Parts: sequence; C-alpha cells; structure tokens
Amino acid sequence: MASIRMQNLVKKYGDFTAIPGLDLEIADHEFVVLVGPSGCGKSTLLRVLAGLEAIDGGELFIGERQVNAVPPARRDIAMVFQDYALYPHMTVRQNMAFALEMRGMKRDDIAGRVEHAARLLDIGAYLDRRPKALSGGQRQRVAMGRAIVRDPQVFLFDEPLSNLDAKLRAQVRTEIKALSQKLRTTMVFVTHDQIEAMTMADRIVVMKSGVIQQVGTPEEVYETPANQFVASFIGSPSMNFMEVTGAGDQLALSDGHRLPGTTDLARRVPAQGSAILGVRPEHLAVVPADEAALMANVDLVEPLGSDTLVHFKVAGTNTIARVEPDRRPRPGDVMPLAPVPGKAHLFEAASGEVIR
Amino acid sequence: MSSLANRPSDRLIAILDVVLLVAAGIAVLAPVAWMVLSSFKESYEVTAYPPTIFFSPTLDNYRSLSETTPFLQFGINSLIVTIGSTALGILLGAPAAFVVSWTRITWPAIVTLLARMAPGTLFLLPWYVMFRQVDMIGTYGALILTHAVITMPIVIWVLLPFFDNIPRSVFEAAQVDGCSPVRIFWRIALPLVVSGLAVSSILAFVFSWNYFLFALVLSNSDTKTLIAASFNFIGEGSTNWGGLMAAATLIALPPLALALVVQRWLISGLTLGAVKG
Repeated sequence: MASIRMQNLVKKYGDFTAIPGLDLEIADHEFVVLVGPSGCGKSTLLRVLAGLEAIDGGELFIGERQVNAVPPARRDIAMVFQDYALYPHMTVRQNMAFALEMRGMKRDDIAGRVEHAARLLDIGAYLDRRPKALSGGQRQRVAMGRAIVRDPQVFLFDEPLSNLDAKLRAQVRTEIKALSQKLRTTMVFVTHDQIEAMTMADRIVVMKSGVIQQVGTPEEVYETPANQFVASFIGSPSMNFMEVTGAGDQLALSDGHRLPGTTDLARRVPAQGSAILGVRPEHLAVVPADEAALMANVDLVEPLGSDTLVHFKVAGTNTIARVEPDRRPRPGDVMPLAPVPGKAHLFEAASGEVIR
Repeated sequence: MSSLANRPSDRLIAILDVVLLVAAGIAVLAPVAWMVLSSFKESYEVTAYPPTIFFSPTLDNYRSLSETTPFLQFGINSLIVTIGSTALGILLGAPAAFVVSWTRITWPAIVTLLARMAPGTLFLLPWYVMFRQVDMIGTYGALILTHAVITMPIVIWVLLPFFDNIPRSVFEAAQVDGCSPVRIFWRIALPLVVSGLAVSSILAFVFSWNYFLFALVLSNSDTKTLIAASFNFIGEGSTNWGGLMAAATLIALPPLALALVVQRWLISGLTLGAVKG
C-alpha cells in the first residue's frame, strides 16, 4: 500500500500540453476518482501514473520512491483497462497468473493467489475458459482478478465500467466499492460519469483541460463547488444557471424580473456588475405563491418514478426543477418555485469562480 | 429482398457477374490446363496446329524427366532454398513487422517493399561479385540469403495488419505485467498472429519457390533449383516442350497444394488490412 504524490507534473504531446503542471497528493488506502469530460487529461494522468506515458516535467512519487523513470512493471501497480485488455490466447487462469509468472513466482504460490482472487470475484467456474467465451461483466471481473493477484501498492482503473450496460454497471460499481473496502489498497479510478465518481470516491478530482478544478469529498464538490464548471459537471440533471444582477436587497434576472428572498445572495453580487446564480434542480422547491421567487411556466414534465423533472424557462434559459413524484403539473401550468435557503450558489460572470 | 432481387436490372447484373467470373476463371485456368494436358502429350503434339484436343495420353515426358535429369535432387534443392529463405524471412520479418506496428515508424517497411519491387537484376551483379569474393557461389547459403529479399517484405507486409489489429491496451497490459518488448513479442503478439504467420509463410514459400533469376545465376549443378533447372529444356535449336510441361506441372504442384490446404486462411489474411476499422 502506498501514497501517491505528484509535484508540478507536466505531460506534453509535441507542442500540445496535455497536463500543464499538476499537484496532487493521494493518501495511502484512499479511493480517488479522476473525473471530467473527454479530453480533460484524466486518462493521460492515469497512464502517466502507470508509466505508460513518459513525464515531461515535475516529479511523481509512489510511496517514498520517485518513479519518473521507473518502467510500469517496477512501479508495483496494477491497471484495469477500459477494454479489459485480456490476453485472448490465454485462459482466465493463465491471464491472472501471467504477471506472477513474469515475476518468477513459484507455481504453487501462483495457483493459490489465482484461486483466492477467483473466489473473491466469484469467477472460479470460468478459470479454464478463454476471454471470448465470457460476457462483458465476466471479462471485467477477470480484468480485476488479474490486478488483484498481483497484490499491488496501487490499483489504477481506466473507465472500466464504460463498456457495460447500465444495470451491470451499477452492480459492478458496487462490487468495486466493496472490494476497495476489503482490500484497503490505494485506488485511482478514472471516469467521465459523475455518478460513478460520487458513489465510489473517498475524494473526487474534477479536471478540465489538464488542470484540476477541485479536489474534495463527494459531498464537498456537490455542496460547495469551486467554480461553475465543477457545479455544472457534478449533479444530474446539471445545475441551473441564470445571469443575475444585484437590485437593492434582491437579485434581478437579465429580463428585469426580481427574485424575492435572495437578500443574502444579492449582497455578494459585485456592485454595478453581474454574476451567475446556480441552483440545482433538486434545490428548487415548490412554495406557496406569496413566497415564490419564480413563477415557472411549465414546458415539459418528465416523471422518473422516484421524482419528477419539470422543465421551464427563466429569462429565456432552459431550467429544470426536481419535484416530488406525486406532483404532476401539466405543460402550461404555473408553478411557484424558490431556491432552498442556503443551497443557491453565485459565480463570477467572467471567471466562473465561486463568490462566497 | 426477393422483390429487389427480381428486378430485371438486378438479374442482368447477376448474369453479368457469372459471365465475368467464368471468363476470369477461363483466363486463369486455361494456361494451367494447357500445361497439364501438354505434359501428357508427345512433344510434336504440343506444338501442333490446330491443337489436338483428343490424344492418347503418355507418361513418357515424366519418365524421361526422372531418367535424364536429377529431378529429385533439383526438387530437394528447391525445398532447401525455399524453406530456408521462408524461415529466414519469418525470423527477420515477424519482429520487424511487430516493431513497425509498435512504433508506428513505417519507413523501414517501405524500404523493404521498394527492395522487393525493384527488378532482381539490380541486385544480381553486386551479389554475384560479393558472393564470389566470399566463395559462396553455388551454395545454399547464397540462394537462401538472396531469396530472403523476396520473402522478408512479404512477411512484413502480410503480418503488419495482423499486429495492428491487436488492441494496443493488450500490449500495455503486458508492460504493466512485467514484460519487456521482446517478451511482449514472443509471449503475447506472436501467438495472436498465428494465422498471419501461416499466410505469410505460404506466400513467402510460393514466391521463393517460383523465383527464377537468382537461382539461375547463383546456383551450380549441385544446388540448382527446379525452376532454374527447367530452363535446360529450352534448347538453342529445339525445345523439349513435353519435358518442359511435365517439369512445369510438377513444379506447380507444391505451391498449389499448399494454397488449396490453407485457402480459407489465405483469403481472410489477405483481406485483413482491407477490412480493419
């Protein structure tokens, strides 16, 4: 088991800088999820950690050892790939034993470790099958088994759930989380799916263009996003944003409509300037008409069973409210809404940084 | 579907397909049939005009081939040179193809292809001088080395799409598992391109078996290959057509038999690069 430390880490591809200087510390036993949209540098960072990409600047430590120039095999890491990367010509048993054979481990020890991992992942019945005879979920487990048998200091996962269907993805997600609690090994997990990030991580690292936007527990990035990008990326449906200005003790929308009950927020808006108000759909509550900040003209209703999404426009911008499932407005209805006190966010209009 | 297939224009296309296939088949097979039939004719009948279609077959040409020439020895020579050069082509070409696929640096592969496309006469004189210097003219070694120029580019270019087809993550997983590039090649990549190896071996075998020029100049009477030896049937004054046809038929048999045995692999192997997504 080991901690990971990155200091001013730089990764370039020719003239393109994928990671322009990144600092991050991951504690021993921690489950960290790197999350962000495609091209944000999260997979590149994972590959740099694995040693599959060379480092162009800065330092990388696994444990106390600087590993900048250490090849993948000697970093004592294991990696689960997006497409599983199982060896097609080997059986499951051979796939799992391969890395141990490369280390020159004794046959009996290898067999013991493979059996143990197979029991842990419930793949004992498939040990003598080739990967092509397995389903996607089974292959995924074998890929994890291959990583587990090595008993590495660090597990790296590169979007391992993205090839699974939605039901299986949720199941395997739970299994990986349970496994991480059982193994107590440092884990770095890359995903573009913020639900995976929220449900699995001890800490989430939100990235954009190779730059860390925020590092925090799932609750922190959800409750107190550092900027508009993080606020929009974490949470589903995405946070609603509205351009506002301060109008005395109230916020005013760009169409001049005033939002009653927003005194605290209005104080934070720069004088003579505008800001972006962010409210999550679940933080727009239905209130009595005399307490409403917004009178929403319902455009569309999406009943999800557990709750209902109501679409409407605020100053021309599409906005969503998540309301109780038994509340079923119809298109054309008017709903009185107000942000839940303390749950609305303000961001600088130019930089997107949060205004506290 | 059936209504589409029944359209007159579709039927016309289907008929045209058959006609073209039959025409192409005749164009390819007629010389082969002519060669095989002629090998069972008397020499004067081979060149008779109009050609004799009905004739009493004779094995005289085959009999005289074994009685008047060391045909078996030529066959063994051909096998030694062909198997040797094919093995050398695989030994050099397979790692080369892997490295080209791994590094994505294709120019060395293009250089070998250019060498293959250049006329053999370009190499012949320098090679003759070089091999004479080291006293290798007339040795199997000289023939095997020169034929490797034929076999190696075939191996490289047939295997390249096979290696390209292996997901890169498989190689990366092997790296993480502790493999050096040599081990990745040996333990992971090579077992995954077995069908490519079979295809490239057969093609290399056929091309080397049929290659005439280097064997004609660089062999001697002890190491002459079948294809070079068959040249002896063409005399200055007269040509033993019957003997030549019998020799040609026997020479064509091994590659033909090989191609028939592995035709399914051959087709899938040759089209692999074309259908890769």
